[in-house]
Amino acid sequence: MSRPIRMALTKGRLEKDTVGLLEKLGFDCTAVREKGRKLILPVPDANLEVVLAKANDVITYVEHGVCDMGVVGKDTIMEMNGKFYELVDLGFGKCKFALATKKDYDFYGGYGIKTIATKYPNVSRHFFEKKGMDTEIIKIEGSVELAPLLELADGIVDIVETGTTLKENGLEVIEDVAPISARLIANTVSLKMRQAEIEGLIKLIEENL
Amino acid sequence: MRNYDLITPEGTKDLLFGECIIRREVEKKLMGLYLSRGYSEMITPGLEFFDVFNLNSQYFPQENMYKLTDAKGRLLVMRPDSTMPIARVVATRLKDAVLPLKFCYDQTVYRTEPALKGRSDEIVQTGIELIGSELKIADLEVISAAIDSLRAMGMPFSLEIGSIGIFRALVAKLDVSDHMKEKIRRRIEMKNFPALNDLLDSIGSSPVITALKKLPALFGGEEVFEKAEELMSDDNITGLLEELRGIYHDAVEMCGEGGEITVDLGLVNKTDYYTGLIIKGYLQGHGEEVLSGGRYDKLISEFGYDVPAVGFAVNVNAITKIIEKHGELPKIPTADAVVFAEEGYEAEAFKAAASLREQGMIVENALFTDLDSAREYAVERRIPKFIVIGEDSKEALL
Repeated sequence: MSRPIRMALTKGRLEKDTVGLLEKLGFDCTAVREKGRKLILPVPDANLEVVLAKANDVITYVEHGVCDMGVVGKDTIMEMNGKFYELVDLGFGKCKFALATKKDYDFYGGYGIKTIATKYPNVSRHFFEKKGMDTEIIKIEGSVELAPLLELADGIVDIVETGTTLKENGLEVIEDVAPISARLIANTVSLKMRQAEIEGLIKLIEENL
Repeated sequence: MRNYDLITPEGTKDLLFGECIIRREVEKKLMGLYLSRGYSEMITPGLEFFDVFNLNSQYFPQENMYKLTDAKGRLLVMRPDSTMPIARVVATRLKDAVLPLKFCYDQTVYRTEPALKGRSDEIVQTGIELIGSELKIADLEVISAAIDSLRAMGMPFSLEIGSIGIFRALVAKLDVSDHMKEKIRRRIEMKNFPALNDLLDSIGSSPVITALKKLPALFGGEEVFEKAEELMSDDNITGLLEELRGIYHDAVEMCGEGGEITVDLGLVNKTDYYTGLIIKGYLQGHGEEVLSGGRYDKLISEFGYDVPAVGFAVNVNAITKIIEKHGELPKIPTADAVVFAEEGYEAEAFKAAASLREQGMIVENALFTDLDSAREYAVERRIPKFIVIGEDSKEALL
């Protein structure tokens, strides 16, 4: 048999959801569930090898073709871009990008350039570019909600799931930027060179979503 | 100020020993192929005016080009591609030349790639351009040269063909803005089915829309054409499909063993100037295409000379990387002999070495004044023959 298809999974929640999906397809994921500290794990009956990685790295590995497929959030795809095929919306890992400000803050008022704090500078830049709006974007690594509270920024662009953190800190969503969910991506050459296997797997997945 | 005197810029690297041998061998094989098919080499400057790459249809985003200025303050770029410069030459100095013109090239192109992605900013490309024929036989000529190029690398390969014309004919039937057409194109290129479906659903529903939705899934072998014909009934498109199918059959026949011909009707690349046929070549075990090209009938007219053309480029860096990964680095050929000069006999030693070289041997002159060091050097380098030129010259096998 040829080398197993290598699938990179985003560690954490998406990994668990994907493993759940693979098990629903009838594949034995014991090795992945009992992984210990291992990072490459077999799913023998599917001729699949699961690689666990951080979201950005999933894209990097797939782009270079060292992994054939990957499961990664649309948020990471929007921020990183890159050359790969985005084949299936897996439907789980749902949340959204949103623009939030302090409650009752007049974000679009006045003529001053607005400052945005975010972990996703490309998503933010693109969003405001489309509006033809010049903004100053500041990259923050940790809790972005702090920036408007400390008055470093007028607003934030961030992932919002339930909105609880925002509410507890006196912030509110004023506009949705884009919906997010997990995507199945594939390397552009792998899809061609191993078409039958990958298409077979995708078909199974789509039937079981 | 910090000094960067000990490293090379990001995206560039030094090649040493076996790496150079592999790279030159790949270049030599490919160029040999093209020359033997009657292509003549063109060498264009590494520096070009920015304007050459800033035509109406901006094929190269300006942020991906290395820019500098000349002594008069005019904007220059480091050549990001060889096809545009060749088009420029054809449209100027070769405007009255008899067609078709066949050129090959082997030169470096420069593009700024995102940092820390493991990509090169400096890429060696060899390729061909066939200018002045819009016939199918010209497409086949280029496909045949592409197959030969891939085969020459000695590993399993696959050549993929497509035609941008089918996509263009389909979107032409939609009553939407160019901006929307570009959005559709981008989603097809990414084979982003969910987003493509959402976008097309927002336009409406018609057989054309159904066909566009399926376009990125239409890749594989012969069966693709049957599926496509079911989806597309328009005469114009059926004609294009028939044409591509004919090319596909010929390509399969030319390819034979060792390689595979596939088709992808969803090849609709972005920065491309392609107008018809598109080809992409893959080698097993590499995550990106190593060859890409197609027909670009409108490009040269942007330089003021309306003439069709077709060609491709091979990414030599990618191929050398694959060879280095899968095989052993070739050994640097060792010298056949070392010639040592005793004091006062230096000129004679150089003459003796030269005459041995004329016989086809690789001969080094020992760069030592004492015999023992020279001998030690020869032994260490595994050079089999040691020759002493002096009062009484002698030879020894080591």
